[in-house]
Amino acid sequence: MIKGTIVSIVLLAATLSALHRDPLDDGFPLSTYPMFASKRTTKLSIAYALGVRADGTSSPLPSEVTGTGEVLQAAVVYEDAINHGGKALAALCTSIAARAPDDVVTIRIVVGIHDAVALLVDDQRGTEHVRWQCPVKP
Amino acid sequence: MFAPAPAERLAALRIAIGAYALVYVMVRGPELISIAQLHRGSFDAIGVTRILSSPLAPWLAIAIGVATVVLLVLFTLGIAYRYVAPACALALLWTLTYRNAWGQPFHTENLVVLHVIALACAPAADAWTLGTPRAGDPTEYGWAIKLLAALTAATYVIAGVAKLRLAGAAWLDGEQLRNQIAVDNARKVLFGAMPSRLAVPLLGHPGWFTGFSIATLVVELGAPIALFGGRIARIWALTAWLFHLGVLALMNIVFPYPLVGVAFLPLLEPEKIIRRGMRRRARSV
Repeated sequence: MIKGTIVSIVLLAATLSALHRDPLDDGFPLSTYPMFASKRTTKLSIAYALGVRADGTSSPLPSEVTGTGEVLQAAVVYEDAINHGGKALAALCTSIAARAPDDVVTIRIVVGIHDAVALLVDDQRGTEHVRWQCPVKP
Repeated sequence: MFAPAPAERLAALRIAIGAYALVYVMVRGPELISIAQLHRGSFDAIGVTRILSSPLAPWLAIAIGVATVVLLVLFTLGIAYRYVAPACALALLWTLTYRNAWGQPFHTENLVVLHVIALACAPAADAWTLGTPRAGDPTEYGWAIKLLAALTAATYVIAGVAKLRLAGAAWLDGEQLRNQIAVDNARKVLFGAMPSRLAVPLLGHPGWFTGFSIATLVVELGAPIALFGGRIARIWALTAWLFHLGVLALMNIVFPYPLVGVAFLPLLEPEKIIRRGMRRRARSV
């Protein structure tokens, strides 16, 4: 009974301690659950990779080309490479090229600025600034 | 809190939660292997992994993942529970925290880790075990079941409070939720994934999101009523399950623990579900 009381108080207090932390000070497994809670606009600035085909058309590459299936973790991989500059971008670009689909001839790592609603509803892409590009070797 | 409960109820929770965690870690296995080999610059220590100044060698991260799977098998079967359960809780805590330490904590794994830690502190292998069964006092089991239920409710309350603390009452007008859903789906498109088929047409009708926002906060902040048990708990669990179904439909985000229902089992009487299944099976045989 005493053990149950102690375990219950400790685990519940630890979990609820999130209420006394800054909501953006997330943790695991003691999370503040800040997902989708912050105020935000529909403007989205994010780094990702485009696969350019021989005819000049391009489309975004899946997160798996970075080595993770999770979109948010892939975004961190791109951001990290951009923050570290040319050498890191070159290495990332080369590793993406090795995993790119067969019809892709060039990899472009870009930072895109989009309006999320315009992109989804009207298929309107915003601006994309190329940070690095490399060829896909056959 | 200390209302008596049958040992089978706690055992059923051990089996369901342990089996869920086992399948989850196995399904995530290939991704855990990929993550172990990510560029070290993407490593952003969180929780218990803060003891590391740099990522583990990939072979070691993978070995801990494999050990977690073995421990989860023993945990679920109730073998050598007194020793296995704490080791299993620690291993799961480490493995999933390590997965979350690569720039983006996910919120789909917190509750199962908390539940396994709670079970590891309780006599959850006194019944329905391949170890040695024990006839304990029914008051020994009630607190653990209540704790599991309280942890489920607490996570929802924290999520609701975070929305009010970060966005205030403005979160209720629906615009914030609409923007979040739009950005999340746009991000998917930019990473070659499919956006939600339901979200795209709904984005043109902002009024819907006011209703979704209010419903979200009602489910999250109303979670403690589930602790009254009985029909109220079942109704809240169903409502929360529908909420996660809505998240899946609008954002293609899967919260597997609540969606398969395991997160809500401490609010129900899972041993009766198992017994009913066993009776049905015996009749068919």
